[in-house]
Amino acid sequence: MLAPELFDLRASLQRQGIIFAYSGYVTETVLSGVGEALKQKLTIDDADTKTLRSVFAVFVEQMQNIIRYSAEIEERQKKTASPPTEIRYGILTIGQENGDYVVHAGNLVARSDVERIRARLSKIRDMTKEELRALHKEQLRAGPEQGSKGAGLGFMEIARRSSKPFEFDFSDINHEYAFFSLKASV
Amino acid sequence: MMWKFEIPATARTPEVSFDFGENHLKLAGESYPEDVTEFYNPLFNALDTYLAKLGKGKCRFDFELIYLNSSSAKAIMMLMDKLDAAAANGASIDVFWHYDKEDDTMQELGEEFGEDLANAKFHLEKMAG
Repeated sequence: MLAPELFDLRASLQRQGIIFAYSGYVTETVLSGVGEALKQKLTIDDADTKTLRSVFAVFVEQMQNIIRYSAEIEERQKKTASPPTEIRYGILTIGQENGDYVVHAGNLVARSDVERIRARLSKIRDMTKEELRALHKEQLRAGPEQGSKGAGLGFMEIARRSSKPFEFDFSDINHEYAFFSLKASV
Repeated sequence: MMWKFEIPATARTPEVSFDFGENHLKLAGESYPEDVTEFYNPLFNALDTYLAKLGKGKCRFDFELIYLNSSSAKAIMMLMDKLDAAAANGASIDVFWHYDKEDDTMQELGEEFGEDLANAKFHLEKMAG
């Protein structure tokens, strides 16, 4: 019964149009490897340059969001200074839906962060191209937002690279964590 | 000033070709380093040393970037700020932003950077081919 079970999982992904699926601990090396395969697949698909670059750009920002912000963390005892002592868990799929490429990612976040993330994403999602451009310029100059380790520009890059407004959602897991999901189409 | 600062391109980092002797600096390729600070800090340092000695001299900087992620954008802005500061101090600086005509996002990003240059001269150009 080994093969049927795994095949069912694969068939279920395929029915949803999913070409790539990764669920597990995400590292920069995973990003490099999956990213390389993604580029090859898009090249074989004959995707135009703009589509290829945009799908790849959204993929990179989604993966780095998991690497930096997922609340599901494994930490190793710090016996030595390197290599990295923590890895974070997330899930990411890339598929096709009605002629669009879709990059869908999810990870746990602290429930106390949900409203902050929701407000930020709603604001970005509802902006016009011109408003996004202005905010991007402003944020590039500003320091990182509170609770953000990056420049806080990743969501904006996803919005600018998407062909329609991204979708997002939160689902409570327990009293401490919620599952956060962000879906972008190119 | 007869020195160079060069780093070959990797899958995730651009080719760095700072020919200080020729006053011609270039960054070309893709930029989404694992660690942006670790990659860009040596570039900032080399550029600072060079610009401090440039005085009223001339310098050309070519950005030929195909793709950069959101954290690299911040580093590029810091490079632009250094160039603009040197131009404010009297250097004659030309910044060329080359973009792939198929990718308007990179064109827009170039325009954003260009708008913030008060003293350096900014040129937006389509990549050949």
